Amino acid sequence: MQASNFTDHISRSFNQDIEGLRNQVLTMGGLVESQLSKAIAALVSGDSELGLKVANDDYKVNELEVSIDEECSRILATRAPAAGDLRLIVAIIKTITDLERIGDEAEKIGFLASKLAAMDRPSDSYREIKTLGTHVLHMLRDAMNAFARLDVTESLEVVREDERVDEEYEAIQRQCITFMMEDPRSIKRVMNVTWVARSLERIGDHSKNICEYVIYMVQGRDVRHTDISEASDLASE
Amino acid sequence: MTESGRKTLAGIALILALGGLIGWIYDAAERGLLIAALVALLWQLRNLIAFDRALHTGDFGVFRYGEGIWQQLFSRFSYEHERGDRYKQQNRRIIKEIQKSANAMPDGAVIIDQRNEILTCNKAAKELIGLKRKKDRGQRLDNIFRDPGLTKLLQSSESTRAVDLASPLRENEWLNCRVVPYGADQKLVLIRDVTDRIQLSKIRRDFVANASHELRSPLTVICGYLESFAEDEQVPEHLLQPLSQMRSQARRMTTIVKELLDLSRLEGAGLAATDQAIDIAALVAAAMKTYSGCEDAPKIEIHIESGDQLLGAQSEIESVVNNLISNAVRHTSVDGSIKVSWQSGPDGADLIVRDTGEGISAEHIPRLTERFFRVDRGRARGDGGFGLGLAIVKHVLERHSGELIVVSERGVGSEFRCHFPAQRVAAA
Repeated sequence: MQASNFTDHISRSFNQDIEGLRNQVLTMGGLVESQLSKAIAALVSGDSELGLKVANDDYKVNELEVSIDEECSRILATRAPAAGDLRLIVAIIKTITDLERIGDEAEKIGFLASKLAAMDRPSDSYREIKTLGTHVLHMLRDAMNAFARLDVTESLEVVREDERVDEEYEAIQRQCITFMMEDPRSIKRVMNVTWVARSLERIGDHSKNICEYVIYMVQGRDVRHTDISEASDLASE
Repeated sequence: MTESGRKTLAGIALILALGGLIGWIYDAAERGLLIAALVALLWQLRNLIAFDRALHTGDFGVFRYGEGIWQQLFSRFSYEHERGDRYKQQNRRIIKEIQKSANAMPDGAVIIDQRNEILTCNKAAKELIGLKRKKDRGQRLDNIFRDPGLTKLLQSSESTRAVDLASPLRENEWLNCRVVPYGADQKLVLIRDVTDRIQLSKIRRDFVANASHELRSPLTVICGYLESFAEDEQVPEHLLQPLSQMRSQARRMTTIVKELLDLSRLEGAGLAATDQAIDIAALVAAAMKTYSGCEDAPKIEIHIESGDQLLGAQSEIESVVNNLISNAVRHTSVDGSIKVSWQSGPDGADLIVRDTGEGISAEHIPRLTERFFRVDRGRARGDGGFGLGLAIVKHVLERHSGELIVVSERGVGSEFRCHFPAQRVAAA
């Protein structure tokens, strides 16, 4: 049984190539998801060892990116795909770049978490960061689900969600500024927290990008840099 | 020949005879026979056409009356037809019941084929990992539930395996996934919510860690005063003995608390980093110093056969070496001997501590690394063992991807072998 409409070719080995590529991208997505969730957990629970582990494990994501990239070039060169297949390959090449960036941001969060674990913790134990982190993690999950199911509706949902993440990020930033003004001694710690928030916000953006590639892959329409209502019009046409 | 067959033949014969007779009366027997044969043929044809129509409409009521081969054929056919319908309904009902019970199961169940593509799943699976029954049919399970742990589980080839994974949908929830071979080339993935169990073991771990931590400061105070009493000359004579006992017991308690803390820290941690190279020879030599002046300790030989170093956490490996050697010393009489060796080969390195002590019976070996386990409940207490040493050794080895292999025979001696895989060994 073949899941996607992309894998419907006369050549069976082409089918297998493309299926394998999709699976690899999703494996990479799974790895990035677990990296992010670990990084957030390390920060919230003040677990410096887990934070360092996340930072040290980023190479796995990078390795996958390189191998998928090579596989894409190989398919482009040997199969000369057209139409839907070409869009799929192009979308994958872009998706893995974004996934790799998300991996880098997770690495950064892990590293900052290990640094923050050594400093005294705020009374709310990073509740806002945790909320933002969970939100972003769900966005990433939904983005990868949309990729697996080639689901345009879910993709649009994620694109919409990104605006809310941006608002949350703004709120955290304002809060951090207040903290720094109230107590200049906390500046060093709060600066790190703003970096974490910044990374999370970037992950939200990358997840949104992935969803835009999914729409491109399925509908053949480029919805980047458009407003959300315009994007949903384009996607549903 | 059956009754109905005979009747049909008799009917045809009667028609032919009648036709022949009438023809014979009018002096045209051949024509009479021909017309009779035609009538018989028409009669059969009519039945055949009616049968064909009944097959299409499914209504066999036309043939309820009369006799002969056709009526038999029709009633038989209609009976089988109705029976088939009944069975079909029954089967449908049974399938529905099975589906209902599969859906009522609290555990998620997903059936996947050899390529991990989803064939079917029950309701609980949809709720636990967010599958969509229609949309996800044919998708690979590990493409929807993307967890590196699950991917590894599905790839491994052992027959029944399980792993605990974080829920992809809800925070702080844990799922236990078990893969069972199922049908031809298929696999059944069972998913169970084990949040309670994980939470409970976390609470237990936290409790032990917190309790030990809280016990430490009062103990330090008690030990401090007891130490100062020992040097105080004003302490009355009759209190000296109780005080010295209190001191040794307080020290013992401090060690237990420290080991418990170590253990709870080791339990929660993942793999040890590999950036530190440890010189085993130096560690063993340092451990030996404790026993060098001791007269009641057995003879200890050291065989360092390899210059390779171990990659891991120095303090933890140190505690492994100390624990194994002190265990050996404790269980070996003065005239026995202990051999500590470090060797390496292509498949990794081994730290071996062999003694000629009393040995351990086979049924106790698997339980040696349990906390507070003692082979001889009555003994031990006095000799300084707490039952935590081997538990620590086990956890340290786990953190270094190693394993503890124990070989022992009662009355002959024991061998404790710590095996470390090749990736943990740095060639000298």
